Amino acid sequence: MTSTVDTAGEPVPTSSLLMAAAKHIGTKCRGENLAFLKCKKDDPNPEKCLDKGRQVTQCVLHLLRDLHQNCSKELDAYAGCMYYHTNEFELCRKEQKEFEKACTL
Amino acid sequence: MTEAMIRKKAGMASVKDMPVLQDGPPPGGFAPVRFARRIPNKGPSAMAIFLATFGAFSWGMYQVGKGNKIRRALKEEKYAARRAILPMLQAEEDERFVKEWKKYLEEEARIMKDVPGWKVGENVYHSGRWMPPATGELRPHIW
Repeated sequence: MTSTVDTAGEPVPTSSLLMAAAKHIGTKCRGENLAFLKCKKDDPNPEKCLDKGRQVTQCVLHLLRDLHQNCSKELDAYAGCMYYHTNEFELCRKEQKEFEKACTL
Repeated sequence: MTEAMIRKKAGMASVKDMPVLQDGPPPGGFAPVRFARRIPNKGPSAMAIFLATFGAFSWGMYQVGKGNKIRRALKEEKYAARRAILPMLQAEEDERFVKEWKKYLEEEARIMKDVPGWKVGENVYHSGRWMPPATGELRPHIW
């Protein structure tokens, strides 16, 4: 896998890309995540939490788009390394450092 | 010829008087050989050995503890990343499930539309909580 975007230029949320951007998602989309989890705890019915789920998805996709615009090369390298090593953080420290230097948390 | 003819002594009466031919010690005897134990009593004492063992063991356990801390930090990093992306994945799965569930309800309504008394498309347990659809699998998370 050489690129993280599909034909329209939007980043595809694969597991390697999500794990690569996980720290950013954890900080920037924290509110939406917590709201969705609270909704799920109160009622596990998927139909009841669809709107909060959509907020989560939108937040994450916007964040991925911003990351792709600001530091696409480092993000591609990091996500590619994650894809190669199946989401093992310890084997991608170099790319992680480059990525966090380019797109600070 | 016979041994008696080779080793005979002048004037011997029988073979029993023949001079003996033996493998014996050299004249004056052999040199003395020490065969007594002389185990030396030097080297580390018992306390020294015990302290060395205890020291090596403690240092080893200290290294194990340090390694465990490092490994736990790595695992925590992985779990934190999974926790961060969990809502996104669950939200995507919810969208997909709701779409499939609607299709399933329509199919059920189509199949059961002539059955009298079949309440509505949805017919689940009475506890009030939402339960995932039962597929009859005992451990559905393991395919």
